[in-house]
Amino acid sequence: MAFVGFTGPIILDVPADPAAMFLVRALVGKISERIGFEAEEIDQLVLAVDEACTNVIRHAYAGVGAGRIILTFTPSSDYFEVMIRDFGKGADPAGFEGRDLDELRPGGLGIHFIKSVVDNLEYTVPPGGGTVLKMMKFMPKQEKHKIEHTSQ
Amino acid sequence: MNIQVNEKRPGIFVVSLAGELDMSSSPQVRSVLLPIFRKKVSHLIVDLAEVPYIDSSGIATFVEALQLARKGNIRFSLAGAGRTVESIFDLAYLRNVFEMAPDVNRLIDGE
Repeated sequence: MAFVGFTGPIILDVPADPAAMFLVRALVGKISERIGFEAEEIDQLVLAVDEACTNVIRHAYAGVGAGRIILTFTPSSDYFEVMIRDFGKGADPAGFEGRDLDELRPGGLGIHFIKSVVDNLEYTVPPGGGTVLKMMKFMPKQEKHKIEHTSQ
Repeated sequence: MNIQVNEKRPGIFVVSLAGELDMSSSPQVRSVLLPIFRKKVSHLIVDLAEVPYIDSSGIATFVEALQLARKGNIRFSLAGAGRTVESIFDLAYLRNVFEMAPDVNRLIDGE
């Protein structure tokens, strides 16, 4: 059963510019809401995708100049998958490590937010360069099902 | 991002923000907020009542402000954060690091 009355991904191609991120946040919020996530989960999903795009702007396109970010949203009744494609310098795997939150200092929080929120996170380096970051968030009932299934 | 600075009482400054606090607006907030610590200030309050969203760059700005406050022995408070903003501070494990109050007036009246 399709959750929004259609199937297939939604693609958003935006400038890698902080001023354009409100569009990303609005779309993530709307789709998450329609899938049926709770208010707090919607806020967190919006934050996670926003932070991933911020990382792209700050690191992948640092010193590169204007670039694009292509987001592919694949919603379903059980989960929300977001793919974030950039054409920048390529990801540094160390950049996906969390940091020690006991240390009070500015910065470094973005990846902590992403890892705290999503259930699956993977990145690949596609032909042609850049990075594809794929994140998935399951609906709570799906998570429960997974846990029950695993424990059998 | 709309930013207003008011010295409500001698040494008590309130910085009122209106708009989303993200990578786009954080530098502007930082450029207004941090220089206040160089003034004769005993208590700096940031009013977040009109801030519907904050990301890591916004939180980083407040962490920097808190560090300056601690160095200068200045009280630094955040007031009026809504549910979304509070939950993001929770996710950062920083809600208890900051003094967070329901609204600005209650903080000032308590002085």
